[in-house]
Amino acid sequence: MRKPSVKGLSVGRLIRIEFRQRRTQMISGLLAITLGIAVIVAIRSISLVSEKAVAINLDNLGANVLVLPQGATVDNYYTADIDAPTLPEEYAETIATSDLTGVDNMSPKLTRRVNVNGEKIVLTGILPKNELVSKPIWKRSGLFGKGLKASCGPSPLNESHGYKDEKLQRKSIEALAEYDCLVGATAAQKLHLKENSNLTIEGKSFRVEKVLPETGTVDDDRVFAHLHTVQRLLGIGSQVSAIEIMGCCNAITDGLLSKLRNILPDTRVTTIGQIVSTQVQTNKLMKKLSVVFLIIIVFVGAVSIGNSMWANVNERKKEIGTLRMIGFPKTSVYRMILTKAMVLGLAGGVLGYAIGSMAAMWLGPEFAGIEVSPTLMLLPASVALSTAVAAIGAAIPAYFAGRIEPFDNMQEN
Amino acid sequence: MLTLKNVTKTYRHSDGDVYALRDIDLTIGAGDFITVTGGSGSGKTTLLLCMAGLMRPTSGTITFGDRKIETATDKELSAYRSKHIGFVMQSFALIPYLTAIENVMLPLAVPGAGRTDQVSAATDLLQLVGLENRRNHLPRELSAGQQQRVAVARAMINEPSLILADEPTGNLDPALSGEIMQLFTEINKQRGVTIVMVTHSPAAAAYGNRNIRLAEGRILAGA
Repeated sequence: MRKPSVKGLSVGRLIRIEFRQRRTQMISGLLAITLGIAVIVAIRSISLVSEKAVAINLDNLGANVLVLPQGATVDNYYTADIDAPTLPEEYAETIATSDLTGVDNMSPKLTRRVNVNGEKIVLTGILPKNELVSKPIWKRSGLFGKGLKASCGPSPLNESHGYKDEKLQRKSIEALAEYDCLVGATAAQKLHLKENSNLTIEGKSFRVEKVLPETGTVDDDRVFAHLHTVQRLLGIGSQVSAIEIMGCCNAITDGLLSKLRNILPDTRVTTIGQIVSTQVQTNKLMKKLSVVFLIIIVFVGAVSIGNSMWANVNERKKEIGTLRMIGFPKTSVYRMILTKAMVLGLAGGVLGYAIGSMAAMWLGPEFAGIEVSPTLMLLPASVALSTAVAAIGAAIPAYFAGRIEPFDNMQEN
Repeated sequence: MLTLKNVTKTYRHSDGDVYALRDIDLTIGAGDFITVTGGSGSGKTTLLLCMAGLMRPTSGTITFGDRKIETATDKELSAYRSKHIGFVMQSFALIPYLTAIENVMLPLAVPGAGRTDQVSAATDLLQLVGLENRRNHLPRELSAGQQQRVAVARAMINEPSLILADEPTGNLDPALSGEIMQLFTEINKQRGVTIVMVTHSPAAAAYGNRNIRLAEGRILAGA
């Protein structure tokens, strides 16, 4: 016997009473959708962080677009030929102030082979970040001062992740004094340099601000100094060898290069093919994986809920017949079944999000070696997905429930 | 109140059409207590289903007041049943997880039923059928006779003008059957509710003021 308090009946209360009375059946339906959503939330939470980590790693491969002088080749740029052509530094400003989208970061560079302590090394003039940010016109363009952003990574929404891994932070030079320099690992070894050592380049004395860790790239053989110091030292004026651009790989495939060529017609715009193709391939793979998981979960979730609702409808044929007999129209019966499934979906979405987030927080560091924090934007997505999946799964059982006629009640014995 | 003209109902079968009802002409007046008798397969339940708008006749017309039943939409038929008809079935047709009073109130949960005094109306009816003290019991906690009385109270909750009863004493012993038939008589006489009751039992049929006998889908007597 239930508690003696009596309330009026409505369709909503009928559904609530049925939930209470058929707990086992409802809990198994709820479990099916909760587990499904938990799995996808856990996978998605981990993959969002992984995508970001992968994207930052890809960024660390370096720039993927080069703006070179018309007659120059990529080889000229890397070998730092003494006679290699140059282009005006102001072109960087032209790019920054244009309405181009998909340019994440940009770095004008001047490279020349010079004699240092009797060794031939490549001197590279760079603009430190604080100087780029200090230019109001560049600041307005929004290119700088936005913090780290992965070029091929997930959308800016994902930045709320709070992903922090210092090993993966992009190398950026915050500040560089006029006669300070940074020395690549191999160059430092060759020249016997360490932090605060002095070295003379083209007759000027420089202090080693830092010896850079080994990267396995051409940067290991280089010495980096302030762009304007290098320009003065080499008597080149406001010219650079190239402008390195970190372009979003989606923007590159969407025609970023031709847009750059339109803005700077007397230059040669080229991609560093291997980097771009790695970025594009990885990006595609991550997206495909997410889609595969989504399809699996939609399918499994819809089948589970459909199965649960089908069992519920079959078990309740007589009840539904009674409801139809006393005046419930087909549409009301249909709506009742759908509402029940959607309530299960809604609850399953919230629970699945909570369980999936907790699982990701535990599994991320344990198995993938990455810190995962709950992604709030997955909550509405989980609820919407689980509710929609539940509605899809229940649509056919609900349709058949609406068609049940009450003949069984009238043809006993 | 309810008029059936030339109502025929056939079912398709591989051997040809099977007639459940043939050319039924019947007028049911307000306040009638009609019993429908006949052997198995004589068409009694089909006749009741057609009257309730739960089955469409193959041909003929059914009119309730000035409303045509055989051509009404599902929504119109649902409203017709919800507002004008009360049902009492042999198997009671109670919802197992609803208490006695909730089962009685069930017809008022139909969207558009729009009655606000559900609890007091249901309490009054449970009092009428002598089950006020069992209002919070689930059907499984009630005897067969009590369950049928709950079903009668449920049939009355929407203040119908017509009660359709299909073998309401079929699952009850003679003593309980007598109680239920007494209840129907009171409802018919004191409240003026028209009753059409299908029964196999001559004892139950004796409570009606008019008996219709069916055989092979035709009215043999009482039209």
